[in-house]
Amino acid sequence: MTEKKRSDQLEVGEGFEPYEFLVTPAFNKQYLEAEEDYHPIYLQDTDLGSPIVHPSLLINHSNFTRSPSFYLPPGMAAVHAKDEVEFLSPGRVGKTFRVTWKVIEVYERRGRQYQVSEILISDEDGIEIMRRRLNATYISGGE
Amino acid sequence: MTTITKNTEEGQEFSGSLKTVTEERVYAFSGGVPQDPGFPKKNVHTDLAFAISCGLPTRAASGAMFEGYLGELMIDLFGEEWLSSGEMSVTFIAIVDVGDALIPKAIVQSKQVEESGLKFIMQVWCENQRGEKVVVGTAKGSLKK
Repeated sequence: MTEKKRSDQLEVGEGFEPYEFLVTPAFNKQYLEAEEDYHPIYLQDTDLGSPIVHPSLLINHSNFTRSPSFYLPPGMAAVHAKDEVEFLSPGRVGKTFRVTWKVIEVYERRGRQYQVSEILISDEDGIEIMRRRLNATYISGGE
Repeated sequence: MTTITKNTEEGQEFSGSLKTVTEERVYAFSGGVPQDPGFPKKNVHTDLAFAISCGLPTRAASGAMFEGYLGELMIDLFGEEWLSSGEMSVTFIAIVDVGDALIPKAIVQSKQVEESGLKFIMQVWCENQRGEKVVVGTAKGSLKK
């Protein structure tokens, strides 16, 4: 069995394995409750299609911790430092979304290593929904 | 809430809804599927011992929650069109734990006339019940002609 590479050791050009997820009405509602946001666009069909997926669901499910290949040993965690998000099209409830990640920069600042990932979320029809540039660092209890 | 118009001036401030970060909401956001055994999953957002084992002083609610609060404010200001053309760039500067209450805020930094309409550059942030900013950044949104 091949051991997973520690996610904090990924280098520029490497990526996490893609992740796919279906957004059901119940899944979307879970995030509406978490966000206390019941805007009708997230609940009602329109001429343009089914209700819109709450953007926080898409952001949360495109964090690289969702990737099947994400791995950190016990006592380590990823911490987000900065996030740039470009909203390209609303995601629709009932669709399956696919997330891809690629490490585009690794740098050190004040003795801490940072990793910048480019993230793309598309739906099952190939529509690009959201593009992110996520800047993260890693922490451990041994620090 | 006052919405944004083409006459909105630079420096005008907008506030969104007060958001209370409860344990139930953090679990719903970061704990996985409620029907699954083991819900909520243990991670730095949901479990104090897990967070401390990773070197954090306490649980840290997911930054994506506050990005959602800011997104809600932008959609209130610019409409759902913001989900097709909006941008947001934020830096997370403080931990948010269960019991904190946040308000998303925005102030018009500048306006630019473009071919398709009027683009607003906003400074955005969320502040907690002590008036401390926990996430800061900028967002862009447009009003079509």
